[in-house]
Amino acid sequence: MTADCKYEGFPAVESASPIESVESDGKQLSALLTVDKLSLVLGGKEILQRVDFSLAKAGVTSVIGPSGAGKSSLLRCLNGLETCWSGTVAVDGKDIRQWRGGWDQLRRYVGLIAQKPVVFNASIRANVCFGIHGWRQRRRADELVEQSLRQAALWDEVKDRLDASATTLSMGQQQRLCIARAIAIKPKVLLLDEPTASLDPRSKQLIEQSMLQLAKDIPLLCVTHDLEQAQRLKGRTVFMCDGRVIEQADCDQLFKQPQCIETREFLRWSVCDCD
Amino acid sequence: MSLLPTQHRDALSKGMVLLFALPALLIPTTVLCYIFWQAMPVLSLSFVFGSADGAGFGVTEGVFPQLVGSLLLAVMACLIAIPFALATALYHRTYATPHQQRLLNTLFTMLQGIPPIVFGLCGLVVLVNLFAWGVSLLSGAVVLAVVVLPLLVLNTLATLERIPLTYSEAGSALGLGKGAIIWRLWLPRCWPQLLTGLLLAMARALSETAPIMFTATVFSGVVWPDSIFSPVTTLQTHIFYLAQEGSDPLVISIAWGSAAVLVLLVASFGLLARLLQKLGAH
Amino acid sequence: MMLRWWLSTSALLSSLTIVLVLGFLLQSSWPLIQQQGIAFIIGTEWYPFESLFGMLPALIGTIWAVALALLIALPCGVAAAILCSELLPKSLRGSVRFGMELMAGVPSVVYGLLGMWLLLPLLESQLNLLTGRTLLAAGLLLALMILPTIMVLSEDAIRAVRQSQREAAKNLGIGWDATLWRVLLPQAWPGIRVATLLATGRAMGETVAVMLVVGSIDRIPEPFYNFLQPAQTLTSRIGREMAEASVGSLHWAALLFCGLMLAVVAMGIALLSDRRRTVI
Repeated sequence: MTADCKYEGFPAVESASPIESVESDGKQLSALLTVDKLSLVLGGKEILQRVDFSLAKAGVTSVIGPSGAGKSSLLRCLNGLETCWSGTVAVDGKDIRQWRGGWDQLRRYVGLIAQKPVVFNASIRANVCFGIHGWRQRRRADELVEQSLRQAALWDEVKDRLDASATTLSMGQQQRLCIARAIAIKPKVLLLDEPTASLDPRSKQLIEQSMLQLAKDIPLLCVTHDLEQAQRLKGRTVFMCDGRVIEQADCDQLFKQPQCIETREFLRWSVCDCD
Repeated sequence: MSLLPTQHRDALSKGMVLLFALPALLIPTTVLCYIFWQAMPVLSLSFVFGSADGAGFGVTEGVFPQLVGSLLLAVMACLIAIPFALATALYHRTYATPHQQRLLNTLFTMLQGIPPIVFGLCGLVVLVNLFAWGVSLLSGAVVLAVVVLPLLVLNTLATLERIPLTYSEAGSALGLGKGAIIWRLWLPRCWPQLLTGLLLAMARALSETAPIMFTATVFSGVVWPDSIFSPVTTLQTHIFYLAQEGSDPLVISIAWGSAAVLVLLVASFGLLARLLQKLGAH
Repeated sequence: MMLRWWLSTSALLSSLTIVLVLGFLLQSSWPLIQQQGIAFIIGTEWYPFESLFGMLPALIGTIWAVALALLIALPCGVAAAILCSELLPKSLRGSVRFGMELMAGVPSVVYGLLGMWLLLPLLESQLNLLTGRTLLAAGLLLALMILPTIMVLSEDAIRAVRQSQREAAKNLGIGWDATLWRVLLPQAWPGIRVATLLATGRAMGETVAVMLVVGSIDRIPEPFYNFLQPAQTLTSRIGREMAEASVGSLHWAALLFCGLMLAVVAMGIALLSDRRRTVI
């Protein structure tokens, strides 16, 4: 399935051969998701410029950077909400543009949690099972609902009102509900776009704990503005600025010994002057 | 005027506004009251639900056949128009390019402006004569459906446009296809507004006379339609024919009574729509 | 994909309606244009039996009726809107507005009844006329019909002016009168203009009510501003002669041409009113 739009300036790229493993810092990691020279131009502006990185089979990868660095757009490209990009993205060795079943099937493999929680006008239970195909399966999904809610650290708060409307939950609870909803369809990669921005500290803590738990099984790619959060989540950290990946390294190494000037400046002042 | 002190200027302006506004408010009210006052001698349950024995020259006590006829036409018209209106609005929202969207908007705005008598004319030639459906329920319903179509399309479009993009994207991110998004996300969320549009369309279809005059109804002789290919009698045309009779006081009362029934019928749909809107706002 | 195919065909079919209607009107009135050129548009005699199809009387009648209606309804409607949104207490506002919206839904045939049995005798007795069937009657009736529309839409437009604007005016010491003329009305003017255009479209296309009270005499008023004489409008002509003309004849083509004129002008008005709305 090829892209259904014309992107400015970049020729259509044929699918690359499957990538089994990627070399990084001398270690051989078998990567689940690899991004190769991803570029995105929207409205005449270059949002992403030749982004390269990869996600290992498990663990959290944080993406940090100033506003407008293209972090959210990167996530939207990875799950197909944005299709006018050039470059190659491979999940499990397969190019996502050639994904069997199209974008819909890809999105069941690569889940996305948006920045602002969007709950559907239905009960909590219905929201969690929303992604499950078939209304019969949805009716019999009680165990799955409980498991997902537990993994999202929401079960204790809602277990006695599963049939209440989801709009009665607080913002923090709604965001956890969105996480439960996304993991109920058992994705193999989970993308999170600033999941705890504007939430209360308690919800932040609960969500970060869920993320660390989930990261034991599947890779998580989390965009965050909060540098402390990136340090708490550990794992690899990618620093992006102005649509380019400036530096990527293990969390401790990036924060304690940043190699690039831009990284150092950003970590100090939280602003980046790179052009 | 600028030489007058402020209070006098204010009083003058307010007086002018009052002068022009009071007739605007009082006359319609008087008119409504007049209709019901004239209809009172005749209005009764037997009038509304009674039927005539043998359709004479249109002058018969009891308007039930006409009531049913009007409702039949309006319901059929809406039934014909709804699938097309829904499909067009959904296409506009999901698959249409911006160019096509503008085109659709323009086409239906233009369609909305055309006087219904023009549709009646076309219906007379195409449906009644060319397709040889004759003066029938079906011809009238199709003509009314065209009258009501732009209303439904524009209302559905406005409703769908109010759904935030993030709502649909959240569904997409779960892997839901377009069909699932329409059926499980959009429709459950906006069916009250769609129903409101439908009720308003019914009210409109019930108040149109010109397009059905020569496509669905005949001058006399009809009480109940045998099939969708037979003519039907409606409140609107009943009133119209009675208006041209004019001298017999009984005829006059019956005409006013029919008018009152029609006004109540149209108003009830309008009121229902309003009620639904208020409920939906919660 | 099935869904896409089904949606696009249905959308195509419904958008074709307008093309078909216009095309049909054009095709059916073509015989008349072929035979007589377009001079008949300004012809002054309408005698179908002698193949004279002058459109001018009906055109003038329509223009006069609509102009009269607007002349009466516009000031009154806007004044009522001002009254409702600025002067009335909140409790009354809702009911007045509700009453007006109800009036807007009254079917036109009921107005026709009112015109025939209330308005005509009134005109005949008050103005000493031979017959109340005049352009004035048509104009008054149309004014009554478009009044609710103008009032409701103008009230929306005036109410839409933000409260902060009124307060800013108050803080400058500007009184009610000046606030109205210099702040509220200029800001609400685009909305009022849209309301006027919509009302014009409706008045122009109104058939039944006008048919019953205008007199249906194809004659240009003499002198041209005399609207106390019976006259003819395009819609009234179509309505009255639709049953008489035999399909396919030249008379029929002339009637369809009237319909075409109505449709084209009405579409133009509809487009104008829509573009204005999106520009503001």
